[in-house]
Amino acid sequence: MSNKTGLKQFVAKPARLPTQNDQTIIRRIHSRCFNTIGNSILTISVVVLGWYVISAALDWAVFNAVWHASTRRECMNISPEGACWAGVISWFNGLIYGRYPTDQQWRINLGFILAVMWLFPLSCQKIAYRNFILLSWIGLYPFFGAYLFLGGTFGVDIGVFHGVLTCLASGFFILLYANWLLAILNKPHLCEIFQPLASRLFNRWSQPLCLLFVWLVLSLPAAAVLSQVQLQPVAIERWGGLFLTLIIATFAITMSIPIGVILALGRQSTLPVVHWLSLLVIELVRAVPLITVLFMAVTLLPIFLPSDMELNKLSQVLFAVCIFAGAYMAENIRGGLQAIPRGQYEAAQALGLGYWFTMLLIVLPQALRLMIPNIMTSFISILKDTTLVSIIGLFDIMLMARNISNDKDWIGLHTEPIAMISILFFVLCYSMSQYSLNLEKRLKVDRS
Amino acid sequence: MIPTPIQKPHKSPPVRSAPKLEGHRPLVTFLNKDATRAGLIQGAVLFLVLLLFLYLFSNAAHNLDRLGMVFGFDFLTATAGFDISWSLIPYDPGMSYWRVFLVGITNTLVLSAAVIVFGTLIGTIVGILRLSHNPLVAQLARCYVEVVRNVPLLIQIIFWFTAVFSALPPPRKGFAFGDVFFLNNRGFYFPTAQSDIPAIWFVIAVCAFVLGGWFLRQLARSGNDSRPQKSRAVMAGWGCWAALLIACIVILGRFLTWSVPALDGFNLEGGQYIPAAFGAAFVAMTVYRSAAIAETVRAGMQSIDKGQHEAAATIGFSRYQTLRLVLIPQAVRAIIPPLANSWLVAVKDSSLAVAIGFPEIVSVFMQTSINQTGRAIEIISMVMGFYIVVSLSISYLLNRYNAHVQYKVR
Repeated sequence: MSNKTGLKQFVAKPARLPTQNDQTIIRRIHSRCFNTIGNSILTISVVVLGWYVISAALDWAVFNAVWHASTRRECMNISPEGACWAGVISWFNGLIYGRYPTDQQWRINLGFILAVMWLFPLSCQKIAYRNFILLSWIGLYPFFGAYLFLGGTFGVDIGVFHGVLTCLASGFFILLYANWLLAILNKPHLCEIFQPLASRLFNRWSQPLCLLFVWLVLSLPAAAVLSQVQLQPVAIERWGGLFLTLIIATFAITMSIPIGVILALGRQSTLPVVHWLSLLVIELVRAVPLITVLFMAVTLLPIFLPSDMELNKLSQVLFAVCIFAGAYMAENIRGGLQAIPRGQYEAAQALGLGYWFTMLLIVLPQALRLMIPNIMTSFISILKDTTLVSIIGLFDIMLMARNISNDKDWIGLHTEPIAMISILFFVLCYSMSQYSLNLEKRLKVDRS
Repeated sequence: MIPTPIQKPHKSPPVRSAPKLEGHRPLVTFLNKDATRAGLIQGAVLFLVLLLFLYLFSNAAHNLDRLGMVFGFDFLTATAGFDISWSLIPYDPGMSYWRVFLVGITNTLVLSAAVIVFGTLIGTIVGILRLSHNPLVAQLARCYVEVVRNVPLLIQIIFWFTAVFSALPPPRKGFAFGDVFFLNNRGFYFPTAQSDIPAIWFVIAVCAFVLGGWFLRQLARSGNDSRPQKSRAVMAGWGCWAALLIACIVILGRFLTWSVPALDGFNLEGGQYIPAAFGAAFVAMTVYRSAAIAETVRAGMQSIDKGQHEAAATIGFSRYQTLRLVLIPQAVRAIIPPLANSWLVAVKDSSLAVAIGFPEIVSVFMQTSINQTGRAIEIISMVMGFYIVVSLSISYLLNRYNAHVQYKVR
């Protein structure tokens, strides 16, 4: 008010000295942690808080913990302050395998190892037909796994269709690893070995055809062996623990991609009926919580299916989780589809490709690649969401962990099992998210 | 005269007769038309979907008939007959299933509203801390987010319920804050006010004060008087508003009687309480939601061009001023769409409280009521309808707000 003109005279301050480049660590710490009083207080309080939390956690989980005891009371007598890991250790087998018979648990281990081995070639750049290996894993391994985990005898508990696919799966696996082994040993691969025989049978000869032939030939001895093996049948109700969690999560993750692709293509379709139906399915499923979809599958499927068709709880749950994961995946894939420039569609059309070839060869590979980070995030949330099946009574790792506190020896042991599976899920999900970050970086380098 | 050039007769292109297609059939041409194909495909899809529905419904009719059940919403007026451990609206076992539905809805909405408010507040703070220049603070925020995000929500809810809230001492040995507030393994007890005046007057009073405050805020923004006078007028306005508020509280307070919880045997009597299950679900969901929102906020802040930071630094803004005046207003535009999504997820996630027995809609209506009545189709469609309505209304409101906030592109 005193200044009538309202203008201040600009007086230049002397220029500041240039910041020094030779910053030592101490100087850097000073400039970022202790540059103002407020920041210093913040730093110190963070250090104190961190120290307090970490020391309390370590005291509970490591220093005061009890590792060997037979009951919870014994644990309390030894160290009332610390964690009672003895209970978790004694139930560890149950947490991993559920109520699967102990003498049959090698089947789960074998199935897991085979599944990983089947996928392993995908990470090797030089192996041909990797898409087919992935497709075979999606299409064939589930039948093989179901045979291995359920058990039973061919022709008795296992139907013809299931049996044939199990044999084909075994044949494929043998073909895969036999060829690989021969390649490592620098020997001619199976196709060349079988060529004299096969060339008499076929007029036109090509490598894929040959591989198909060798695969079918190799399935025969597998069938002969498998039909003699008698695995003890294990009911689905006895499946549980981490094993069941991984089955549900893997199944949902693999099925979510095809379901998502179909729904996303439907939603992007120019045909109004297809568009609106897909939109309806996607939006309805995404608007409701997973737990209601699970309840719906468990209570409504028996009503809406014929009365003589008995579905077990696991297949009902798998149905619900797949639909749910598929609807979320559809939105991810739609984002990818929309990000593909118009020119790609037009170029494909100019080449004379029809709708399906345009999508399968040109658009979808780019769209999926573009959306890999989002798809990985979806995978992580599917894995986390599988814990919900415990609410409707499947004995996954969550329910097994909750059940430890009902055991008469370990009554009231709540915290330790929960802490244990929290750590497990953290390790699984965190490594998945780090892997996706890594993948994202690699793909970015690829594109530039 | 200029001689006109002799015009050559225009050479018309040689007329070729259209190549005769070998075996040209009109039906094939008709089938190859895009429009025909579209019609056929859509007809086929529609037909298959209708067939599927027909199949499912005939099965359902057959199964319901076989089990001796009927379809209809008449059960909503029947007496429920079971108790609900906690409800915000008056409920007793003699009331109808419709009332049970309403109790479930209110409990769900209250839980999710609390989670949304606190989760957004904490999430925003953590998201900003994650971008702090202080490496310790940024790392602490990062650890919080990573740990919380990578552990399933259900595990966290059960952890808070069994390891924290149920592990509190029983009512006789519980924590007391000034003999008014009590915290024990049953929940949190606090006094409530009772009055002979109808509650509607309190609601009206609260609305009047909120509207008054809003009006004053608008007044303070409008007009172009010189600054000191205007601020004086506005200060006077706020002062009157506050004085009126205090006067009202004092006057209304005279008509209130307080019901204070007190120990009676093994339990606390009087007052109102929030059950431990609510506390556990609320804490776990708020923590989980705040981590998700922190990531949203961080992504939104990082989406702002680096030049904005530099420009703010150039005109001498402090770190706080840069945040408040430059970064946050711009980040809001990038944050709102994912934030809306996060709120939707919060409403849906509130259904997980069923795992610890909090009486929300899935627990009281989908579990207990289906077990009691067997009306699975009706109940499940009602619950799903509720969630769909909530989802659609939240996304509608936030889309409106989003359209309001975004840059207007002409």
